[in-house]
Amino acid sequence: MGENKSDVLQGTLDLMVLKTLEAMGPLHGYGVARRIEQVSDNGLSLNQGTIYPALLRLQQRGWIQAEWGVSETNRRAKFYSLSRIGRKKIAEETENWERIAGTMARFLAPSS
Amino acid sequence: MDFIRVLLSRFRGLFGKRKLDGDLEEELRAHIDLAIAENMQRGMKAQKARTMALREFGGLTQVKESYRIQRGLPWFEEAARNIRYAVRQLRKSPGFTVTAIITLALGIGAATSVFSVVDAVLLKPFAFRDPDRLVVLREVQDEAGNERFLVPDNYRHFMRLKNDSKTLEDAAIFRQYGMSISPTGDHPRIVGTVTASPNVFAVLGVRPMLGRGFVNSDAEKGAANVVVLSYEGWQTFFAGDTKAVGQTLRIGGEPATVIGVLGPGVRFPQIALAPKIDFQEGAQDALLYQPFVPGDRDLSADTGNFNYKAIARLKPGVALAQANAELDELQKAYTLSAHLSMHLGAALTPLAQDVASGVSGALWLLFAAVGAVLLIACVNLANLQLARAVNAEGETAVRAALGASRGQLVRSRLTESMVLAIAGGTAGAALAFGGVRLLLALAPADLPRLDEVNVSLPVLAFSSGLSIAAAIVFGVLPALRSLRVAPQAALKTNQTRAANTQQGQRTRGLMVAAQVACTVVLLIVTSLALRSFSRLMSQNRGFDSNRITLAQVDLFAPQYGDFSGNMKAVKLSFADRTLAALNQMPGVQSVALTSVAPLTGETWVDTISRPDHPVPPEQEPRINVRWVNPGYVPTMQIPLISGRNIAAADRANSYVVLISERTAREAFGGEDPVGKRIDGLVPDDKHPMTVIGVVADTRINGLKDTAAMVYVPYWAFTPWTLSFMVRSTRPSDALIPEMRRAIWQIDPQVAIPMLKSMDDQVSESVAADRFQAMLLSGFGAAALLLALLGVYGVLAYSVTLRRREFGIRIALGSGKSALIGLVLRQATYPVLLGTGVGLGVALIALRWVRSLLYQTPVLDPLAIGCSILLLFVAAAIAALIPARRAASIDPMKALRTE
Repeated sequence: MGENKSDVLQGTLDLMVLKTLEAMGPLHGYGVARRIEQVSDNGLSLNQGTIYPALLRLQQRGWIQAEWGVSETNRRAKFYSLSRIGRKKIAEETENWERIAGTMARFLAPSS
Repeated sequence: MDFIRVLLSRFRGLFGKRKLDGDLEEELRAHIDLAIAENMQRGMKAQKARTMALREFGGLTQVKESYRIQRGLPWFEEAARNIRYAVRQLRKSPGFTVTAIITLALGIGAATSVFSVVDAVLLKPFAFRDPDRLVVLREVQDEAGNERFLVPDNYRHFMRLKNDSKTLEDAAIFRQYGMSISPTGDHPRIVGTVTASPNVFAVLGVRPMLGRGFVNSDAEKGAANVVVLSYEGWQTFFAGDTKAVGQTLRIGGEPATVIGVLGPGVRFPQIALAPKIDFQEGAQDALLYQPFVPGDRDLSADTGNFNYKAIARLKPGVALAQANAELDELQKAYTLSAHLSMHLGAALTPLAQDVASGVSGALWLLFAAVGAVLLIACVNLANLQLARAVNAEGETAVRAALGASRGQLVRSRLTESMVLAIAGGTAGAALAFGGVRLLLALAPADLPRLDEVNVSLPVLAFSSGLSIAAAIVFGVLPALRSLRVAPQAALKTNQTRAANTQQGQRTRGLMVAAQVACTVVLLIVTSLALRSFSRLMSQNRGFDSNRITLAQVDLFAPQYGDFSGNMKAVKLSFADRTLAALNQMPGVQSVALTSVAPLTGETWVDTISRPDHPVPPEQEPRINVRWVNPGYVPTMQIPLISGRNIAAADRANSYVVLISERTAREAFGGEDPVGKRIDGLVPDDKHPMTVIGVVADTRINGLKDTAAMVYVPYWAFTPWTLSFMVRSTRPSDALIPEMRRAIWQIDPQVAIPMLKSMDDQVSESVAADRFQAMLLSGFGAAALLLALLGVYGVLAYSVTLRRREFGIRIALGSGKSALIGLVLRQATYPVLLGTGVGLGVALIALRWVRSLLYQTPVLDPLAIGCSILLLFVAAAIAALIPARRAASIDPMKALRTE
């Protein structure tokens, strides 16, 4: 279906979006992208555009919802916010991610 | 949960695309604007800020594309697009589409409807408990020359076998009658009745739905008259009233108490008395069951009285052969120890096999025929599809060159095949339902279990699956092959097409040959069946059925008595008065009376014993006894060979008989039988009888054979069923209501189960043969049509491909006839090859058809010659159309196009 990124990366991006929305409240796409860049300290070479398929995916799952609003610069923009399901999923996804990260860490640790 | 939500949301994404696209556009523009604004806030110039924003965003178009794909259901959209494309393509070539759909429909419809009948009559188990363990028990009579005849059962023999056998779990003896019943006090009607020993329901393994079955005391002498109704009987006589149990029904004029009702679907099997005796008693479905009360004759007679049928249940785990051997031994031993004058054994037949025995050969033949049609249909489809795929090669190449992926191309071909398959499959299913109705309307009424015929869904699934698979496989395979050809090569059409043509043409030629082979076999079988049927109808019958009207009257009322209380005078008086009344009707030339309606098979079978020439009992010739009036011979216009007809003067001394030529030959050899004496044939009367004349043989019991007959005046014995035959100058339609009125004026309480023209009776007696001939003709025609389409399709296609070549030939001066010959020759090889193979197969396969034909040799040169001629003519016509088109090609046009 035209998805050519690995599932891990996809899941990672999804979780970043969720955490961003959790921390910042309702936010437009540009805001989400900027926030992810800032938090990752530009360590992630991410095309800002790629967050839109991620936003759509989360929306289709019903984890986030969108509505039109007005930005701080008085520009009409679509604002995303966490849904009830999304809030519940964050914990689950976080745990998932930590397990994977932990496993990876063990692989990457210098073997004695 | 997530999955469903995603699917739903994606499904929503299929609609309102314009608005969604606008939203996305707006959202992304907002993103860029926000980025520009922030960049400018950080001090960038407008131009730089914009470039930076776009760079950080990444590929705008790619994001939009992947967003759109993710939003909807791409495979769904592609499928919808493919279906639209396929329908458009199919509509562009209506010839191909219609042919393919007709082929599919014919194959599926014919195969399913015929197999549904085969399934109900031959394969579907009866609705009894463990029907595999049910067997029909008959006695076997050994005759001179090691011949063994199956005969019905004698009551004493049956009881002995039932009690002594260790392999039978239980057995019930029964007879099937038509009984007269008049629930509303109106003129009675005749309904099928089973009179059986009280354990009959236990043997079959069915339980009454309401009330109870029989108990042993119901079958004791003097017990109250009781009746169990079948479900249909309950519906007919009590309109399904649950309070029917305990009510009274008058059967043959005698009141009987209803004690039980059987559930729906319980139908008593139609079992013949013996295979040699055409099934005729109780041919209607049994609506009533009464307990069988053995009479004095049943309990005492040890050599005669073979009048019963028996059904038995094997013990679990007992093999048929084992039970057969045991019963045969028991019966043989009894014959010896009791010093019986005949050699008897016993034989078992599985119930299902026995019921279907008369029709299974014919039904399997029909099934084989329809299988051949299905095969031809599949080959035809394959052929059509192959031709089409090659045709579409150029287009496929264009689409591939424009960037369609291999998957997309294959899916598109697949979709087209599926659209065809679904259309054809639907038409086929409709045809199957209609076909079953048609078969039921055409089928002879005595085909067993006809009321159980339904469209068999597994078969519908099988035949549609097969032809649909053929359509799809042959639609997709060539597409796969054409994909291997590089688009550039395919686009340079001429070389590739020529190459494909060579190879494909051979395949298609072979397919046509296969079709022709199947068609030849089918046509030969069809023409043999038609020849056999026309012989059956056109031969000399020995009687003239023209302008005769036939009424059968059943005297089933207490005043006419039964065998135990023979009310001779009452029956005789009824017969006399009816004959007189019928003679009074205007236009009547003569009136005949006989005891058995013509063309209803062998009945009242007895043997002739001559006091002047005694032979062992098993060598005595078997004859059919008929009780007739003096008008019988003139009414039927049977030629008198020697002696004289029965005359009114014989009434005083009615111990005289007329015999048929065959009886004369079998009983008297070369001697002159007139004046000879034979032992008495009247029931319970040993008075000897004198032969007074010989009449010509007639096919009176069935058109397939003459019968050995003995005609005795009805004054000597008047049976309970009387058939009156009126020869008149007026048509049967006018006579029928008058005859009914005349008979009921004499006694309104007699039943008239049969009242029709003799011609109808003749025609109905061969219903099974006509059914077979008609169906085979239908399949033969279908096969011929399909083969014709096959030949036409291949040639028409090749002519289209070779337009250029033909154009050049014409331009170089080739004549029209030469071109036509060129195309026709192309058809010659597959047709000749197919005919040869078909003849070979026919020679082997016709062996199984022999027993189904009436006096027709299977190697009938006329039938075979006509079939092949018909095929050649059809093939020539099919080939001539494209050949003429080839000859009329305009060379200028042909060379310019492409």
